[in-house]
Order: sequence, then structure tokens, then C-alpha cells
Amino acid sequence: MNLLMRRKLINRIALTLSMGAMLFGLFWLTWILWTVFDLGVSGLSLNLFTQMTPPPGASDGGLLNAIAGSVLMVTLATLLGTPIGILAGVYLAEYGRFNVLGQTTRFINDLLLSAPSIVIGLFVYALIVANTGKFSAWSGVVALALIVLPVVVRTTENMLQLVPNTLREAAFALGAPKRVVISKVTLRAARAGVVTGVLLAIARIAGETAPLLFTALSNQFWTLNLNEPMANLPVTIFKFAMSPFVEWQQLAWAGVFLITLGVLALNIIARVFLRAEKLN
Amino acid sequence: MDIANAQLEFRNFNFYYGKFHALKNINFRMARHTVTAFIGPSGCGKSTLLRTINRMYDLYPDQRAEGELLFDGRNLLASDIDVSILRAKIGMVFQKPTPFPMSIYDNIAFGVRLHEKLSVAEMDERVEWALRKAALWEEVKDKLKQSGMSLSGGQQQRLCIARGIAVKPEVLLLDEPTSALDPISTSRIEELVDELKKEFTIVIVTHNMQQAARISDYTAYMYLGEMVEFGVTDELFLKPKRKETEDYITGRFG
Ligand SMILES: Nc1ncnc2c1ncn2[C@@H]1O[C@H](COP(=O)(O)OP(=O)(O)O)[C@@H](O)[C@H]1O
Ligand SMILES: [Mg+2]
Repeated sequence: MNLLMRRKLINRIALTLSMGAMLFGLFWLTWILWTVFDLGVSGLSLNLFTQMTPPPGASDGGLLNAIAGSVLMVTLATLLGTPIGILAGVYLAEYGRFNVLGQTTRFINDLLLSAPSIVIGLFVYALIVANTGKFSAWSGVVALALIVLPVVVRTTENMLQLVPNTLREAAFALGAPKRVVISKVTLRAARAGVVTGVLLAIARIAGETAPLLFTALSNQFWTLNLNEPMANLPVTIFKFAMSPFVEWQQLAWAGVFLITLGVLALNIIARVFLRAEKLN
Repeated sequence: MDIANAQLEFRNFNFYYGKFHALKNINFRMARHTVTAFIGPSGCGKSTLLRTINRMYDLYPDQRAEGELLFDGRNLLASDIDVSILRAKIGMVFQKPTPFPMSIYDNIAFGVRLHEKLSVAEMDERVEWALRKAALWEEVKDKLKQSGMSLSGGQQQRLCIARGIAVKPEVLLLDEPTSALDPISTSRIEELVDELKKEFTIVIVTHNMQQAARISDYTAYMYLGEMVEFGVTDELFLKPKRKETEDYITGRFG
């Protein structure tokens, strides 16, 4: 009985502590979301999606060029980083699990995964911007792709490792060659996890500022030319929020709100997708 | 049951996991359209022996077989054997059901597509044939597009058997196919084995001696990587020649 009471007491203490930690985290999160919502919603208007970023002091203006630039660069970076990442992840999980090349690649990928994004930005700056002599959207795409890449490599590898070996053996036992086993069976079994990884990688680069600051920079005007500097939400937010102009600050909050909404949507899609896959 | 006319024959066969000598000097034969059961305590090498027959060990570089394993007179261990073709002739079903993450139909068609080019109608026919042979057709005929993973454990195992049969193999290897199943699913699979042996040679690993006695024509008792006794099932269970076999089947050991 004594032992039981002690266990119950310990249980209660542990529960209280973890509830406290949870509430502490939730408190800040709610506050942040509330502020974003509060200040962002008041800046929402149709202008946001139809007008370009305004010069200082102008009474109207929107974020059209920044939204378009962000969508374009994030899409291209995903299209560039995802296939390479999936192929590398397949190599690590299915071919190079134990060999030297595999282990080296895994180590370097982990380094890349934990590299601060500003380092990636500077790297691409030195590699492309400094050599071509100008800021350009495609150097921004490269920087973002370098952030997507290690995330996709890691999730693909992990998800493939979760596929039970008997499933592979069952496919081999039917006489399937390795590439068929991987493409038709193991990758398919890991599909939900891999897609989730890609979605989370997109969510991550949607708000990255540092890599774009050194590469795509920003642009006051509309452009889809990848050789030019290109407007994008994070850098625009950075520029506008730091400015002394009220209209700009207002637009910055609206931009923050849009990114938050987008990232939230990606997370929800990822969850719904995972659940749908589990239920088949 | 003419065992002199062997379809499969092990001759001075040895198997190694790295340095570990897992199968020691195995010699026996299996005749066409018979059921052979491997019994013995856990870890004695039953699965290892079974997995040599379709060269499953090829997947793992540190595993190695020596000696001869003749299939219709040809040595399967020879390096010029096309493993893919071999595996089309020798199907395998695993302990835990392993449905692929695709529809019931595609689970069956997967293996067939690897080895044959069939028209849609022919493939439909083949899928139905395999599912009927595995006694699963009536249960799934209206939901062939559903995922194979949505079936119950027993159904999944029969799906795996159907998948193996669909490529029209000559031999079917079953590694404890019922150990993860409930008694009703188990007896359905046992009935199935009895049916299937009319067309296929069956090799089954089981840790259940009653099961071996019920469904097999020949039984091999293994212990510590050696084949202690091999013989006609009824004789082996009623009049074992070796003391060790008798101890095992009477439950004095293992
Ligand atoms: N992949 C492996 N690597 C090394 N040893 C193994 C491996 N698989 C099985 N063994 C060993 O080989 C012996 C036979 O195993 P196994 O054939 O699985 O036995 P059974 O199927 O009769 O239970 C055991 O001692 C086991 O530990
Ligand atoms: Mg076993």
C-alpha cells in the first residue's frame, strides 16, 4: 500500500511537471500566433495580392511580386532538391548502409542538415553571386535547394530503414531485380513518410531569410527573370519591418501572417496525408 | 511418391554465416509433388536450409553455401544460374504475412509481370486462378482494387501464397507460414497445402510437430545444424530410428 501511494505520488509529480512544461511552451506559441494574427489580419486586403511592393510613403501597395517570387523560388528549389535527395536517401538506405561511401555521405549530410542557413547563404554567395557579379533568383533557388536536400535525404533514408526487411525479401523471392524491389515495393511502402519529409522541407524554406539575403536579395518590381534579383516574402518582411514607415510595417505583418498560414497549411496537409496513407 | 526420382537433392551441403557453420553436411532428397517438413528446436537451421533452396542468401555477402544442391539434376549453387529465373520456379512464403503496399490485384500481378507479358484479360484470368488456388477468391473478388494490407492476417498469408503460385512455380517454400495466425486460419492453410501438393512440390518449416505429422509426406528432424533423421513422416513419428528424434517428438527434449 505504501509502495502504491509512493508510486501514485511520483506519478502525480511527473505529470504535473510535464503538464507545466507543455503549458509553458503552449503559452508562447499561442502568444506568437495571436500577435501574428492580430497584426497580420488588419493588413489583409485585396491589394496585397494585386499590387507590387510600394515605395516608402505610398498609401497603398501590396506584396504580389514578393508572393510570386517566393512561390517560384520555393517551387524550383523543391523540384531541384527533392529528386536528388530521394535518390541519395535510397542509396544510403538500400546500397550504402554499411560501406565507406555511404557512411561518409551520411556524415556530410548530417553536417549539411545542421549547418546554419546563413552559412549556406554565404556559400552560394561566394560560389555564384561573387562569380557572376550580381544577385539573382537562381542563386536563391540553389541556396534553398541546399537546405531542402539534406532534409529529404535524411527522411528518405529513415523511412526506408523502417520498411521491414521481410518485405524486401518477399519481393526478391519472386525474382524481382533490386531496382524493381526498391521502386515498386520499398519506396512505395515508405511513400507517406517521404512525402511528409518533402512537405516539411518546403515549410522550412518558405520562411528562410538568411540564404536569400545573400543571393536573390529583393526587388521592388515584378520579375520572373531568374537572372535578376527577385522579390520574396522573407527578405521583404525583413526590410519592411525594420523600416520606420508605418505602411511598410503593416505590410510586413501581413507577410508574416501569410507565411505562417502557408506553413500551417503544409503541416496540416502532411498530417492528413499521413493519416490517409495509414488507413489506406 | 518416388523419392529415388528426386526433384531436389542436397549433397554434402554446408552453409556458413561468416565463420559460423550453420548447416553441416546435409544429404537428402525431395520428390516432385510431395510435402516435406523441417522440424527441430528453434535455431537449429530450418529457415537457413529452406532459404538456400531459392538462394535467398545471395542477398547477404557474408553468407555462403558449399556442396551441391541439385534441382532437376542441375546444381543451383553454380554461378551461372540465373537467380531471377530460379526464383520464378521456386516460390517462397514467409512467417509473417508480407503483402506489398499495393492493391490485392497488383500484389498477385507483381510477380507475373516480372516474368511474363500477359494481356489484360490473361492477367485477370491468372489473378483469379491464383486466388482460387489459394482459397481466397470468394473473399476478395469484389475488392481486388483494395489494398492488400487491409486484409486480415490469415487472408494476407493466403494472398502471399497466391502471389507465390501466380508465377506458376514448381516448388513452394513455406517458412512457418501459420505461426502468426489463429487456429482457424491455420487449419485453412493446412487444407490448402494438402490441395496444393497436387501441383507443387512443397517444403514447409514448422515448429509444430502435430502440423508436420498432419500435412507432410516426409519429415526432416534437425538439431544444431545437422539433419539428425529424415524419413517418411509416419515412420519418423511412429518408429524413429534415432534416439534424439524420439526424445524430441515425445517432448522429452526441446
Ligand atoms: N543472418 C544471420 N547471421 C548469423 N547467424 C544467423 C543468421 N540467421 C540465423 N543465424 C544462426 O543460424 C542458426 C540457424 O538459424 P535458423 O535457420 O534461423 O533457425 P530456425 O529457423 O531453425 O529457428 C542459429 O544459430 C542462428 O542464430
Ligand atoms: Mg526459422
